[in-house]
Amino acid sequence: MNRRNFLSLTGTFTGGSLLLPNFLHAFGMQPNLVFGEQCLVFIQLNGGNDGLNTFIPYENPLYFDLRPKIGIPKDLIVGKTNGMGFHPALKDFATMQQNGDLSVIQNVGYPEPVRSHFRSQEIWQTATDSTTYGTNGWLGKYLDLQCKDHEPTAGINLDNIDNLALKGEEPNSITVKDPNRFKIKRDNEQGIVLSENPQLDFVRKIANSVTEGSAEIQKALSKSTAEVSYPKTNLGKNLEWIARLVKGNLNSKVYYTSQNGYDTHDNQLNLHHRNLTELNDALASLYTDLKQSKLLQNVTIVVFSEFGRRVKDNGSGTDHGTAAPMFVIGGATKGKVLGNNPNLSNLDNGDLKYEIDFRSVYASLLREKMGFDASKIGIRNEGVRGLF
Amino acid sequence: MNSASLWSLRLGFSNKEAQNIKKLGFEPFLNASFNSKVDFTIPSFLNGSPKTLDELKSMRQELKTQSSDQTKALRKKELQVSQEMKAWWLEKMKTDAFPLREKMTCFWHNHFVSTYQKVKVNHWIFQHNQLLRKNAFGNFKTLTKEMVKSNAMVRFLDNVDNKKDKINENLSRELLELFTLGIGNYSEEDIKNGAKGLAGLGVGENSASYRKFQQDNDTIIYLGQKGTFKSDDLIDIIFEQKAAPYLITRKILKWFIYDNPSEELVVYYGDYLRKVDFEIQPLLQKIFTEEFAKNTAGSKIKDPLVYILQLQYELHINTMNSRLLLVFLKQQGMDLFGQPNVKGWNGGTEWLSSQMYLQRNNAADLLCNGKSLLRNNQREDLEMMPNKTGKSLNSALDFDTTGTNKTIIAELQTRLLFQTDNEMQTDFETQLKYDFNPKSEGAQNAVLRLFNAMVKRPEFQLI
Repeated sequence: MNRRNFLSLTGTFTGGSLLLPNFLHAFGMQPNLVFGEQCLVFIQLNGGNDGLNTFIPYENPLYFDLRPKIGIPKDLIVGKTNGMGFHPALKDFATMQQNGDLSVIQNVGYPEPVRSHFRSQEIWQTATDSTTYGTNGWLGKYLDLQCKDHEPTAGINLDNIDNLALKGEEPNSITVKDPNRFKIKRDNEQGIVLSENPQLDFVRKIANSVTEGSAEIQKALSKSTAEVSYPKTNLGKNLEWIARLVKGNLNSKVYYTSQNGYDTHDNQLNLHHRNLTELNDALASLYTDLKQSKLLQNVTIVVFSEFGRRVKDNGSGTDHGTAAPMFVIGGATKGKVLGNNPNLSNLDNGDLKYEIDFRSVYASLLREKMGFDASKIGIRNEGVRGLF
Repeated sequence: MNSASLWSLRLGFSNKEAQNIKKLGFEPFLNASFNSKVDFTIPSFLNGSPKTLDELKSMRQELKTQSSDQTKALRKKELQVSQEMKAWWLEKMKTDAFPLREKMTCFWHNHFVSTYQKVKVNHWIFQHNQLLRKNAFGNFKTLTKEMVKSNAMVRFLDNVDNKKDKINENLSRELLELFTLGIGNYSEEDIKNGAKGLAGLGVGENSASYRKFQQDNDTIIYLGQKGTFKSDDLIDIIFEQKAAPYLITRKILKWFIYDNPSEELVVYYGDYLRKVDFEIQPLLQKIFTEEFAKNTAGSKIKDPLVYILQLQYELHINTMNSRLLLVFLKQQGMDLFGQPNVKGWNGGTEWLSSQMYLQRNNAADLLCNGKSLLRNNQREDLEMMPNKTGKSLNSALDFDTTGTNKTIIAELQTRLLFQTDNEMQTDFETQLKYDFNPKSEGAQNAVLRLFNAMVKRPEFQLI
């Protein structure tokens, strides 16, 4: 193999280890680029987060009528404004909002909602109508157009599995399973016996060096340190790594990670409290970290789930529903609550009717943070007003 | 991985044979494979290439007298024929009803290496290849004799320059070192003397023949025996040596089953090979049936050929230009008719480096997304190849649409991954969730994404 082949090959695969100069060039030359290096961080809450118990319409008596067992008592709710307030576990969300750094977009969903996790995630990730089946993700399509040629670290997915949202024609993203392996790799590269099978160990070692040995990631990590302590949870670790990559100037446009466990058909009060605590604590650390390093205005954090949950509880839990709030933190967001409070009396088969299409939020993010026209990737929805 | 899939990959190049192994049973499947017929017709792409010594001579004359442009054109034409030959072979590997013969031909191809780059006569390379095919399950001693007497080999290992009083040891050395006994089982004297016995064996009309005045008829001592020996005699003596069966047995075990076969196993099967007088078919029969009964999955790193043909088969990609596969193989270090040196591909861990792994994953991504193997900026290798590639392929997967996410995961795993664990299962079920609907319109895409993730797992690299 000649050097030229090697260059183009590493460049074409998710996880290549060479930073092609035209990457920086492409981003640097974007005419509409917002000042400073902007990036988006997505936190996907898997399983369908119960929006009504996250950002709670505590002044609506129907809320307590429909949720006798799982309604959150009014006096526990934090950050109350205009009849809405946060779940007690989300105290730092309330603080961020008071600081004007967190916007809530209410009743986000899409027409003809699908209540299958699998399919609804697919819809959110491909940004298609619920009757259209896309093969590429919306962020993948965006990166296809944004990156000159291709750039393996333009999108970073911190997860165990690849993310459809980042899948494009060109492999402009990598999935990093366990960022700790970067450390392991440095400290202890040789001589680890992983299994009884030496051939398998050999391939695994190579696989690690391929998917997680990206030189730029190593470099970004070496340029940054952890100044804020993060909770030792999965999400906490992932957000800590994202912060280090941002601070180390990796220059990725999109970071993506997820948190599991929101499918609360049963025992919701406990499960949801635990999940939201993990979410709140991890995000609070990220928020502090970015603020201290004066990067909060450049990093837009988006928290969402594939759907909300049924308005009426099923006893101790809730079934799959439709619309739910989305949260946008940092990135110089205006810090408002957008949209009407959820209408609990006008339901569609017991579920909320969406008022803002999630693609409008995508359109705003792309236009206002990335200087990119979302219609180029087939999103025709108008952007949400008042977000930035 | 189910054993039918495992052995389909080992005895062929993809999962294509799994059905037959299941349907016929393993031993009848083996017998049918051994009984497969050889097609001796000369393919039409060789029509314009010189075949006889006279034709070759006149072409050489032509090359001398012509302008450099004309020479270049002539060379390019033969290079294209050579590419056609690779594509022809690849097609055989892909389509043969019982590809074990091609698998074994490829084994011999990598044992008795003879590359186009050095030999430069397409017809000789073809003859050499056909000899391997014909003798694929035949007698190792007979095949060795035929190989040493092939035009391709005497040219490839410089025996055309080996003449009385101007000895060239190359063929004599490799005959002992790489083809039969292996280092440590002969002396430098044996090589010198063997070269004398081979002196004068040069290219002939259909096979190599001794030149009367270039032969060396001295009495020599070869592996302890004294006399005047020619190539067949030398090989007879070699096969009387104690070490004769082991090198080839070890290589066969490595080719089909183990990257690191135990010496115990090598001796066990090697002794049997001697017992059956170096007949390959009974040896293969014994190895395959005895190893089939053991749990040996995951003992070998897939070669690039199996890697790519398996993907192509799984994804039902029938329209892709063979030439793209050939470029891939070349980049992966498995250029047909083009081993890096006489030792051939070493295989095992040498098949994978980070770079090769990247390439494999890259190829998997492209094929799963219905794209041809190479991108525009990688097309330079294709310059020699006519019929440039089309862009889009119809990748499609077979899976049971009446099943659930779990049955689909299991179905794919059992034919793709030599082993799985709970962590992997969790990842796959996160990707293909419990409420996935296999009958929905987008199901094919979703299963393709799962497949794509599976084939990038280290466990896919092993059989």
